[in-house]
Amino acid sequence: MHALVIVVVGLLLAFVAVPVFAQDTEALRRELEQLKRQQEQYQRAIETLSERLRRLESQPPPVATPPAPPSSPLAQSPANPQSQTAPPSATDLLRPRQPFALYQQRGSGQLLFDMGVTGDFVANITQHNVQKSESGTFAGRENRFFPREVELSLFGQIDPYARADVRIEAGEEEPGAGTGVSLAEATLTLLTLPYGTQAKLGQMRNRFGWSNVIHEHDLPWVDRPDVYRVFFGEEGLAEKGAEVTWVPDFLPFYLQVLGGIFNGDNETAFGHGRLTSPLVTGRVMTFFDLTDTMALQVGASVANGETPERLRSMLVGYDIKFKYRPDGWLHPLLTLASEGIYSIRRTERGVDVNGDGIFDTFQKQTRNSFGWYGWGEVQPWRRWAFGARYDSTQYPANPGYQWAVEPYVSFYPSEFLRFRLGYKHTERTHRDLLDLNGNGGSGRIMDEWFFQATFILGAHPAHSF
Amino acid sequence: MMKRLTALVLLTAVVVLTVPGVEAARKLRVVTTIPDLKALTEAVGGDLLEADSLSRGSINAHEIEIRPSMMLKLRRADIVVENGLELDRWIDVAVQGSNNENIVRGGAGVIDVSRGIPVLEVPTVRVDRSMGDVHPLGNPHYSLDPGLAPIITQNILEGLSRAAPEHRATFERNRQAFLAQLESRMAEWTKLMEPVKGSKVVVYHPQWIYFLTRFGLIESGWVEERPGIPPSPGHLVRLVRTMKDEKIKVLIYAPWNDQKLAEKIAEEAGAKPVLLAQMVGGVKGADSYIGAIEYNIKTLSQALRQ
Repeated sequence: MHALVIVVVGLLLAFVAVPVFAQDTEALRRELEQLKRQQEQYQRAIETLSERLRRLESQPPPVATPPAPPSSPLAQSPANPQSQTAPPSATDLLRPRQPFALYQQRGSGQLLFDMGVTGDFVANITQHNVQKSESGTFAGRENRFFPREVELSLFGQIDPYARADVRIEAGEEEPGAGTGVSLAEATLTLLTLPYGTQAKLGQMRNRFGWSNVIHEHDLPWVDRPDVYRVFFGEEGLAEKGAEVTWVPDFLPFYLQVLGGIFNGDNETAFGHGRLTSPLVTGRVMTFFDLTDTMALQVGASVANGETPERLRSMLVGYDIKFKYRPDGWLHPLLTLASEGIYSIRRTERGVDVNGDGIFDTFQKQTRNSFGWYGWGEVQPWRRWAFGARYDSTQYPANPGYQWAVEPYVSFYPSEFLRFRLGYKHTERTHRDLLDLNGNGGSGRIMDEWFFQATFILGAHPAHSF
Repeated sequence: MMKRLTALVLLTAVVVLTVPGVEAARKLRVVTTIPDLKALTEAVGGDLLEADSLSRGSINAHEIEIRPSMMLKLRRADIVVENGLELDRWIDVAVQGSNNENIVRGGAGVIDVSRGIPVLEVPTVRVDRSMGDVHPLGNPHYSLDPGLAPIITQNILEGLSRAAPEHRATFERNRQAFLAQLESRMAEWTKLMEPVKGSKVVVYHPQWIYFLTRFGLIESGWVEERPGIPPSPGHLVRLVRTMKDEKIKVLIYAPWNDQKLAEKIAEEAGAKPVLLAQMVGGVKGADSYIGAIEYNIKTLSQALRQ
């Protein structure tokens, strides 16, 4: 019996002691690993110093040149000295090239391009009548939590002359429906054109204003500003075509001039969708460093196309953005911005000549409308940002306007993870023009709460200013 | 009379535009990503070039705000000098916005000075972002290690010579003169650091390993538990305990780190917070490459002796 008790007590002690011992072992292991790492670093440092000493001793004074470091065959090859000093000529560009030449410089096991996934999830809570009328900010998805945009980005250099960007996205467009996958962007950019020009072609978000080009998950707000949503649709202006930029080098300030030709597929603003009468875009953007900590970016944009009825639709926009980033800060303390769009659109209006309630003829008329927003954000701490946006937008094809105010707070646990909570109050001058559901719902006055969670997995292209 | 005057003006214009010396006299325009590289490029290029840096010494070189004014500098640049090892990958966006065909990645106008550097802290295991902002190619903060200046300047020399082969001899002379100057200081610095060799220090961000290794100091801990991620309270408690246990006298931080936090930790651990120049221009008195190293050596050796 005593022996049994001793065995049981012994086993108990062993069980209690094992974790303690394991903790000590773990601590010792970490220290050993740290020491090992440091020893390796010392070894490398000694080798470097020894090598340097050997070189110094082996060379006649006063010359003390270390051996040339390894360099890329492309840059150093004596067989092709022209490639070292001159940009590619037209003949060079026409000559067939090895498309995967860059691979040789990157080593095995590395991808030829960068790849990343972004997830953007949104929840919104609003009144029941807004849900019934499906007139909320995320139409048809009121009072739902949904993946708005899960995006796969692939980007990188194709060869020394061009780069490609491809973004494939999936998101919920209708409640309960399967998640649709679509091509968000696929562009080819020719980087080595002469005279400071660059060409981009494919399917892209147009450089109209400063925020249109930004994808949903990267916007500083939960939703795109009303002026873009009303004039271009929920996702803004994205088209298929080509654009060319020019950056002159003789001006004392930065100026980018852009011209583009696109199909004009955007159904809200254009919709003709043929190159026989294309959507033509233009933009000039400049930038001023006010001080080391303050900067201002100003731009003007234009888009001119046709509607499916072959009526002219032109939009002219301004954009302005100011940032104050105190010296040494990792983020701006204050950001202020505004964008506005003036729409000039030819429309057809039905005329009831004899008063029988039926349109007898259609008259063409020009409708001018304007929309804008102003936005401010303060980020006193790295992880927290507080901001508000005010929107005011007339309707481009119908009478009336809407305004909204949207305060929000963003929390960044890290550079790659963000949570955002926002509230949006919207008022429209008119009840819904068409009660499509016929259920009496109305979105004239809306109060919406938003929650947004966004993550970045892998590489993500950086944005300028 | 008018015709003669016009002819004279045209002739003068043609002569001015066609004389090779006029174009040859233009200085090379070099843009660097960080100020250390500007200083070293100027040391090699001398009067033959004009160098400008896209960032300042007091800011975090990992997270630079890409301004279009950078794109204007790059638009006019003949050469771009970059640190590499993914410290300054942000330059790709600025280069793309500059519309300058000479400096796109893979072009002849790009000098990556990390080639040939014996890189420290290269991950030997699979890395992901749960470890923080780990650099998969190794620690990129090598530029203020004076022992690596020969390799860096050799890379710069090769790059400048590609753009202006006729000046290679001058570049080589400038480089040798600079290295000789650095060599003479190196002896003084080594002597100054000799008494504190083997001392343990704690750093805010793991950006000093090349410098510390060069002068025989031991990095015993980090304020950032994982690079680039603000530390948790638990980690700070453990760090203070370690500093006390191991009698660590110095906590090194850079201008962009949280100064108050560094001071608080040092105070609790009975250590001294030491602000060093992470790059040229990082602190007052570190206005040149040699000046920045000298500042760091003197400040650190003084703090460790106390």
